[in-house]
Parts: sequence; C-alpha cells; structure tokens
Amino acid sequence: MSAISSAVKRKVNWVPPAVGLALLGLIVWRMVYLHGLNPNFNASFFAGAFLRSFQLGSLYALIALGYTMVYGIIRLINFAHGEVFMVGAFAAYFLFSTTPMAWPVAIVVALVVTYGFMQILNFWRGRLTDPLVLVGGALAFVAVSVALASTTLGWLAAMVASMFITGVLGVTIDRVAYRPLRGAPRNSMLITAIAVSFFLQNFGILAFSNRQTPFRPPSFWTQPLQVQVAGETLFTSWMIVLVPLVTAVLVVSLTLFVTRTRLGKAMRATAQDAETARMMGVNVDRVIATTFLLGSMLAAAAAVMWGMTFGSINQPAIFGILPGIKAFAAAVIGGIGSLPGAVVGGVLLGFLENFLTALFPRTAEFPGITEYKDTFAFLAMILILLVRPSGIVGEDLSEKV
Amino acid sequence: MNAEAARVAGAAPSGAVAPAGAAADAAGREPLLELKDVTTHYGPIRVLHHVDMVIYPGEMVCLLGGNASGKSTTLKTILGIVRVSEGEIRFRGERVDPLTTSDRIERGMAVVPENRRIFPKMTVRENLEMGAYLRKDRKEMDEDLEYVFSLFPRLGERLSQLGGTMSGGEQQMLAMGRALMSRPKLILMDEPSMGLAPLFVERIFEIIKQVNDRGISVFVVEQNANVALSIADRGYVLQTGEVVLSGAAQELLTNEGMKRAYLGET
Ligand SMILES: Nc1ncnc2c1ncn2[C@@H]1O[C@H](COP(=O)(O)OP(=O)(O)OP(=O)(O)O)[C@@H](O)[C@H]1O
Ligand SMILES: [Mg+2]
Repeated sequence: MSAISSAVKRKVNWVPPAVGLALLGLIVWRMVYLHGLNPNFNASFFAGAFLRSFQLGSLYALIALGYTMVYGIIRLINFAHGEVFMVGAFAAYFLFSTTPMAWPVAIVVALVVTYGFMQILNFWRGRLTDPLVLVGGALAFVAVSVALASTTLGWLAAMVASMFITGVLGVTIDRVAYRPLRGAPRNSMLITAIAVSFFLQNFGILAFSNRQTPFRPPSFWTQPLQVQVAGETLFTSWMIVLVPLVTAVLVVSLTLFVTRTRLGKAMRATAQDAETARMMGVNVDRVIATTFLLGSMLAAAAAVMWGMTFGSINQPAIFGILPGIKAFAAAVIGGIGSLPGAVVGGVLLGFLENFLTALFPRTAEFPGITEYKDTFAFLAMILILLVRPSGIVGEDLSEKV
Repeated sequence: MNAEAARVAGAAPSGAVAPAGAAADAAGREPLLELKDVTTHYGPIRVLHHVDMVIYPGEMVCLLGGNASGKSTTLKTILGIVRVSEGEIRFRGERVDPLTTSDRIERGMAVVPENRRIFPKMTVRENLEMGAYLRKDRKEMDEDLEYVFSLFPRLGERLSQLGGTMSGGEQQMLAMGRALMSRPKLILMDEPSMGLAPLFVERIFEIIKQVNDRGISVFVVEQNANVALSIADRGYVLQTGEVVLSGAAQELLTNEGMKRAYLGET
C-alpha cells in the first residue's frame, strides 16, 4: 500500500520543465548571437522588449477576461466585446477632454450612468429608486471627476468613470440583446453579438469621431522614463510600470471576488452547472448581468491604458476589432472559460508579439518578422487548438458536457 | 412527536385512489405542498397530465414510476425549473407557481437533484455554502453545518476536497448535506439511491428517515420501490405523466398491481 503510494508520488512529469529549460537556453543563445551580429541588439533592447511584452500582454489579459467570463457562463463568444473596449476608450476620452462648455453634457452622462448603476444595484439588492440617490450619485460622480480631472490623476478619474459607463453598457447589451435569446439556439446569440458589434462601430463613428484621436489624459505616468540596463539606456515611459500594476490589482480583485464573495461563488457555480445553481436559489440572470458588468469594466480599464500607452486611439469602427479578436485568441490559447487561462494567454500573446519579434529583428540578411506580428495570435490559437484544444490552463472540456 | 403524528395521519387515507384536490387531512392539518390539476409541457410535448398530489407537514412521501414517466419533471415543476401550463401549486398555503425558483427556495424548498449535480470544481465547503445561498443568518448556518457533519462525518473531514473528485456515494452525501444547508421545510430528492451499492442505499435511506424524524418533510423519487415504501408514509405512482395509484405505503406494498409492475413479484 505505502509502496504503491510512494511510487505514485515519485512519478514526476519532467517534460514541461525540460522543454522550458531548452527554450530558455535557445532564447539566451539567440540573444547572444544577435548581439554578436549587431551591438545595437544589447541588453536594453531585449529588456525593453521584455517589459513591453508584459505591458501589452496585461492589456490583452484584461480584455481576454471579459471574453472568458462570458463564455464560461453562457457559452457565448461575445463578438461585441471589442466594441465595448472601444466605447471604454472614447468614454474616457470625452471625460478628460471635456471643456467647461460641455459640462451640461457631462452632467447628463453622469445622470444616465448613475441611473443605470442604480438599476443594476436594484437588480441585486432591491429598492434603490430614490431620486435623491440618483441626483446625489450623479453629482458625486461629476464632482469627483472634476476634482480629479484638474490634477495629474485625471487619467484615473477618466478610467474609473469610464469603467462605470462601460459597465452599464455591458449590462445593457446583455439585457437588450442577449437575455431575450436565452434558451434559443446558440447561433442566434452569436449572430446577435455580431449585430451589436456592427451597431456600436457605426454608433461610434456617428457619436464619437471618425478619425484617429489623440489620447493624452493628464498623467504623470505618460512621462518618459529612462532606465540604465547593463550600461545602456532604455527609453520608455512610466506606462511600462503602470499597466502591469493596475492589471495586477484588477486581476487580484477579480480573483478575490470570485473565490470569496457570495455572488462570486454563485458565478462559478453557474459556470459549472447553471440549472443546479438555479436550484440552489441563484438568480442566474443576475449572475450573468454581473459577468457582463465586470467584463466590460475590465475592458474599459484596458482601453484607457491602451490609449495612454500609444498616445492615440483609432477611429471607432476599427479600434476595437484587432485588440478584440486578439484577446479572444488569447482566451482560447489560455483555455476559454478559465480566468487564469485568460491571464496566461494574454501575457503569452504579449510575449509573442514583442519578445519573439525582438528575437527575430531585421538584420542585413533577414527582413525581420515584425510586419507579421498581427498574425501570431491566430497562428498560436490554431496551434493550440491542434495540440491541446482545452488551452494551456483550461481543463478538459469533454468532462463538462 | 410531530413526525410520528404525521406518519399515523399519513397512513389514514382510505383507498388506493388519490383523494382529488385534497385540502386538510383527517387530522385537520393544512397541506405543506399541494399540486392541483397540474399539467406541464416541454415545448409541444405534454409530460404531466392533470396531476394532483399533496404532502402534509412532517410526512415522507415517495413518488414511483417507470422510466420517462415524469418523476423528475414533477420535481422540476414543484421547483419552478419547469413552469406549469395548467393547474396550480401551493406551498404552505401560498400559491407558488407564478414565483421564481429562488423565491420558492427562499420559502423552504430544497432539492437533491437527479445524479447529485455537485459543483465539480468547488470544494465540499463551497458546495455546502451554495446550499445556504439565500440565507443570511450566519449563526444558524453554522449550527446546520454541524448538523450536516453529524449526519455525514465524512464531509467534515473533506472540506477542501473538490466536489468532482469525490466518489459517487460521497457525492450523494454532499448533495444531501447541501440541501439541508438551506434549513428547508421540504426536501425534494430525485433517486438518491441511483448507482449506489445495496448496503449504502440502506444507509442513505436510514439518514433520510433521520432527517424526516426531525420534522423535515421529504418527497422522494425512487426506482427502488421496496426500500422507499418500507420507510415512507405514503406514495404516488406515475405512469406516462398521470397518477395511476396512490395511498399509504403499506397498502401500496401489498397492492396487486404494484407488486406486478414495480415490486418485482408475480
Ligand atoms: N428538457 C426536456 N426537454 C424535452 N423533453 C424532456 C425534457 N426533460 C424530460 N423530457 C421528457 O419528459 C419525459 C419525462 O421525463 P422525466 O425526466 O420526468 O422522467 P423520469 O420519470 O424522471 O424518468 P427516469 O426514471 O428515467 O429518471 C421523458 O419522455 C423525457 O424525454
Ligand atoms: Mg428522473
């Protein structure tokens, strides 16, 4: 008996660590080789690529979480999520670039958002319909935004406000477009999601902008940053610190929510077995609304940091598309339905797009692979679907249904 | 004791035919649960057909019937997972068929679903917490947790094990513990003995009886008619969505039609 159990214990899977070590060796060898080829490929070049991988990967991870949560709960690939991300960026843009002339607009927006949030809270707790709460909430919303907007924390005010606005949008999309289709064939929802996505793209063009828009909220974090790496100077901005930091805070908060709170546990239960969750008294519609709320808020946070990182945002019809489908690919790579999977997939995608391209830069005899980096997400997704359809961290899906 | 009284009263109904639209019983007690003329559909397919059933406080009633006769559907209808298309359901005097499932749970129903349906990636503790989802009285919840551990010591030892990794028998205990965590007035059980070894089936039914002796009413669907009837007060027999037989458990055990159809005797 004990012999058997100790024999079992000794059976360690050496393949992943061995592959990891081999990969690391190859990467180091490649960096040394490139440095020999051209001294510009120095420590600061690779360190920059490494840090940017984390930065971009964090943004993908935040967007991917929205895809994976919605998929986990209602098995829907929410094609409109990229457009939710887009709205998140533009909502923030209008918040921090509002001139005094437009304050009436801001107050109306605040009223609408507060009303939406009250409706959502009502949905959970009941009785929050007092008009005083509405006006008070909206005024507080505006006051905090104004107070913060004049300081260097303008970006934070814009981000938090945009998270609320976008959260309300996400819940509204679910309520208006998806909830009437619960129980309908899955394709109906998928088609509706595509329709919502087109709607938001065109709405964005009409209401927001039709061209590339500069995105520079007042912030300390967008200032340049110079770091000495092995005697060489790396030029970057503080965003390289901020993005992973904010992402870590949000991911940890989400994890605590899902593992510690009643609603979070109901969310996991619903993802595992919605009918049984209902039989325990869980209001599944509420849980789904919460999922859309959180996913959309994370997308808005990602959108604001995306704009700050690149200094501008694309026009609404296309801004959400590429980040959206890439983050979806990241969710699949990590294992769709799994929260850690979305984070791992997002960060991995960041590394593919930044660090891999740094390992194969343009040299005298090689054109480099940077131009192809937009395809890496999909190549990696196809590869993963071939060798491990459940994703890197995802559990075997066949066990589920 | 309450439960004892219930058993005596439950044995009282006269014939082997359902008293249609039963209200107060012989002892003058109001029903805990009452199905009146209930018909349900899955899309165009009718599954339950003018079903009348009644459960009095403290009773243990079993629901028998062949495969696809509509037993699980009956439980789902009581819970509101399936909506009635005709008829009404009353629970503790109140009409509950327009209410949501969660409102019905809040009023004192709990379920041990068919195939147990444990949340596989939640721990034993979290599964039990899900059973108490609608409760806010922390202190009483801890008492109930102790009660569940006293019935199933194994659960107390395995609090951090994932539900999906437990054995079938352990999952059955967990499903029952989970239902008890809501401190229900009525527990609905769908085939608690399914897939369990004969010795364990007896254990499970002993525990069901203990729970019932506490005054918690039990409505149990069972294929295992002999075991179920030997401890139940009364029983109903469903056939293609209709109640074809009902009465005191003892009478059903000796009923000729029952013997031939369900008790495996000739
Ligand atoms: N979700 C559903 N959609 C359509 N038909 C259903 C659904 N669930 C059950 N049915 C049908 O309703 C009938 C009754 O099913 P039910 O599960 O209530 O039977 P049961 O008596 O519990 O059977 P068993 O002993 O096999 O568990 C069956 O013919 C079944 O195919
Ligand atoms: Mg059944």
